[in-house]
Amino acid sequence: MGLTVKEKAEFVGTFRWIEVFLMETLASWVPTTPEMEVKVLFGRHVWEAAQNADGLGKRSFELRAPMHYTLPPPDDYEALFRELPSLEQTSDRIAVFYDAVLPALAKRYSDYLAATDHLLDEPTVRVIERIVDGHKRMLAERQTWCKDLALAAPNPALVKSWAQREAAFPGMVTHGAGAALARAVPA
Amino acid sequence: MTITAKRKTVLGISLCADPVREPCFNVVQRDAEMMEWPDPMSEISRREKLHRHMNNETVAMEIAAQLLVDFPETPWQLKMELARQCADESRHVASLHRRLKQLGGRKGEFPVGTFEWAITNVCDTMAARLAIQNRTFEAGQMDLLGALRTIWRSVGDETTAEVLEHILADEVNHVRFANRWIKRMIQEDRRLLLKVAMAMRMFAEVNAALAVKEGEINAVGVDLSFKKHATFGVNVEDRRNADFSDEEINEILRQSGMGSLAAQETH
Repeated sequence: MGLTVKEKAEFVGTFRWIEVFLMETLASWVPTTPEMEVKVLFGRHVWEAAQNADGLGKRSFELRAPMHYTLPPPDDYEALFRELPSLEQTSDRIAVFYDAVLPALAKRYSDYLAATDHLLDEPTVRVIERIVDGHKRMLAERQTWCKDLALAAPNPALVKSWAQREAAFPGMVTHGAGAALARAVPA
Repeated sequence: MTITAKRKTVLGISLCADPVREPCFNVVQRDAEMMEWPDPMSEISRREKLHRHMNNETVAMEIAAQLLVDFPETPWQLKMELARQCADESRHVASLHRRLKQLGGRKGEFPVGTFEWAITNVCDTMAARLAIQNRTFEAGQMDLLGALRTIWRSVGDETTAEVLEHILADEVNHVRFANRWIKRMIQEDRRLLLKVAMAMRMFAEVNAALAVKEGEINAVGVDLSFKKHATFGVNVEDRRNADFSDEEINEILRQSGMGSLAAQETH
């Protein structure tokens, strides 16, 4: 059996929390990253993440959750994301974001698409497919904007560690029982 | 501590510390430390103009991005506007950088300033920051771009003029959403009106204190007196597009010494 409507709303709300968090993280890096080309890259992707969050937020309402319903993930998973803003070196920011976070998120979106009924849940599928396409564009733009920069080598352990810890979480969504969560939590 | 909590002092005035820049950029604090020549369209002046504009767009992007960080409780629709502004300013930086390189320039070729960041980010409300950055600086840039596109065309540089046309179109949107949201925020909380008024007063005082003084010489030895007489017209059409009222446009015309035009421009 596939996901219930409420479970879908909780997935959508959690994906939205992540996209909003990524938008804010990239925004915080714009004035604190020295390289102009990287500021340009992050500035573009603030808008990508915002559009992703917006699409998910509108979809949550269609799933009988509040408009722009935003559900934080379980504490440990949330903590993993909260490590991101403290990255200081440009090369570490780029490597962790584009080599660990976006691929991990792509996998989570892919898992959702595999779990949901593509006919019953077609609007969510469309929203997520657009997001996944956008992620591919973001990865390509990373190459375009950074190719001429002489950045220090990133710390490979950071990327590996973040990716491994993220992958170790079996579930990224807090599901509630009965009327809890999706229908009860305000936007 | 967020970056906007840090402070610097310029001529005894406490302002927000600079955003981060690459070592190739020489960040200066006053107009008098910039490079500018009396012939505004000589080859080096053209590159300096593009370089200065590129940095100003970078600062605008940084201010919009920082608003998303400093005011997490902002309504979602305003966050969307700010996120879009980040992408627009980012595109402006990229297009100006491309044009600068086409004209033989490079980033870091001239000194840059971050005055807009420094003064906007001392304000502690979203409304006040939008009033200074979007409603004042960006609206002023609409006026400037309205004139500059014609000047670049007059020297046969259609490519740069087109870059400026596209930037101008985006800036109108940034000023318009700021005007709308400031009005809305003040309607919801009248105390913000005082905050905005105080911010604008602070802005005027700091601007006057740091302005070029009579007889000052800039970084390339040029007497800056010529700047005192350089004025650009008010871009009435785009100020209308950006939701300035006729009354506000009249006031701007009066302040810019064009009061006699006010009635005919806005009626």
